[in-house]
Amino acid sequence: MQREEKQLEATLHAILNRVNDLKTAIQALITKLETEYETINWPTFLDNYAILSGHLTGLSKILQAELAPSLRSVVVLPLQLGCERDEELARLTEGRVPACTHDLVPDLLRTKPEPQAEQRLQQLNHKANTLSYDAAQKQVAQFTKVVSHVWEIISKGREDWEGESMRSAGMQPTHSIADTHALVTAVGTGKGLRPGMPPMVPQGVPPGMGPARGPTPQMGPAQPTMPKAPSAIKTNIKAANQIHPYQR
Amino acid sequence: MSVNAPPITATDSLSQALKANIIPNQEYLLQGSVLDSAVEVLLHRLRGLCDNVDAGPETFDDQEVCFSLRDPNQQAAPLMLRVRKALDARDMPFQLRYIGQPDLGDKNRPTVVRSSLDIACSGMLIEFLNELGCRIEFEYSVKGYMFRKGRMKITVAKVFKISQSSMPPEPISQSYLVELSVLAPQGQDAIGEDMRAFADQLRPLVQLDKIDYKRLGHMSPA
Repeated sequence: MQREEKQLEATLHAILNRVNDLKTAIQALITKLETEYETINWPTFLDNYAILSGHLTGLSKILQAELAPSLRSVVVLPLQLGCERDEELARLTEGRVPACTHDLVPDLLRTKPEPQAEQRLQQLNHKANTLSYDAAQKQVAQFTKVVSHVWEIISKGREDWEGESMRSAGMQPTHSIADTHALVTAVGTGKGLRPGMPPMVPQGVPPGMGPARGPTPQMGPAQPTMPKAPSAIKTNIKAANQIHPYQR
Repeated sequence: MSVNAPPITATDSLSQALKANIIPNQEYLLQGSVLDSAVEVLLHRLRGLCDNVDAGPETFDDQEVCFSLRDPNQQAAPLMLRVRKALDARDMPFQLRYIGQPDLGDKNRPTVVRSSLDIACSGMLIEFLNELGCRIEFEYSVKGYMFRKGRMKITVAKVFKISQSSMPPEPISQSYLVELSVLAPQGQDAIGEDMRAFADQLRPLVQLDKIDYKRLGHMSPA
């Protein structure tokens, strides 16, 4: 029994800490809004909401966790309502709740949404359920149309702006598609790289590369080559080369 | 005939690696070019974007020879093999490379994909290929800069025609070839998206695209 109580206490303590964190964050937010509203940097201000939502997630995690099952079996029983100011209560709530009165208690002990809100929600749910498929599709299409129209306007504006800034910077073309194609074809298929190559040894070619190159390039492209050319044939071709050195 | 289990051969471990799909045999590729006048700007931008720039950009100066091996009995396209040799680092091995047909896929595929196998070889390679019956189709030299960004490799290089004896090498065009590539095992298509994103960062300086040189060859016969 004692152990359970201790556990309950620890859980409550954790929740209290979380709630206090949340409270401080909200307070900071409000203070900022009230005192710095003229100089505020709105994007950073929006980050405050992220902090808030972080705290809220932490809180709901604790409440959902198995850590707090005993809380469900604990009942809050309002014993006394009164219109008189309760100093102890006011101190606990930092002056926000001076008395435990009949107009506050329903809100403080509420476990369901307000009846009005609940009704509203039901209405909306009903409306969503009764909407026909076609009508819904139509509305979606309409919405998409509007969004895409806005998107078009924005991207057109961006294009104009980018084009302008480019022109003002005096940008000259930095690439040429024709050059790209020439380079890619040259590397890929050797176009423009197949001269009537007389035997030559460019710098950096190791011995063995040069002489071996001699006979091969001059053969017609369609002429089938023996997989393994005997050396006698090689010399023959070499001799022919000297007569038609630029056959392509 | 032995009753013992046969020893594991290189072929076995290779086929095992193939089965496990760990061999990076697919090349994802985007190509483009940049005019000589703008190459400094591009290098500057790449220096800002890439990983290996602490000591300035890495340079390279390679010579590539493309060999073809034809099957005399068949009309099939010849097998192309490329041999590359670093001219600025003579002690490095030759690189023998096979590149498959580029697959452009549909509009949604971000990059060209082609199979690619390469291996380091000794200087005997040229003679060996000649003995096999390969013949030289063409050759060129590439000189430029190499950048790295994660798994991506970016090269910015000038392509030269190999010149006669003492003449200086003649560039193919007034532009540098820019290539963005990744070698990866089959099926890692996600890398293509990364490459697209990187290519977009180089725009409008360079337009990196999927380019099918086969189709280009038909469009503008020389």
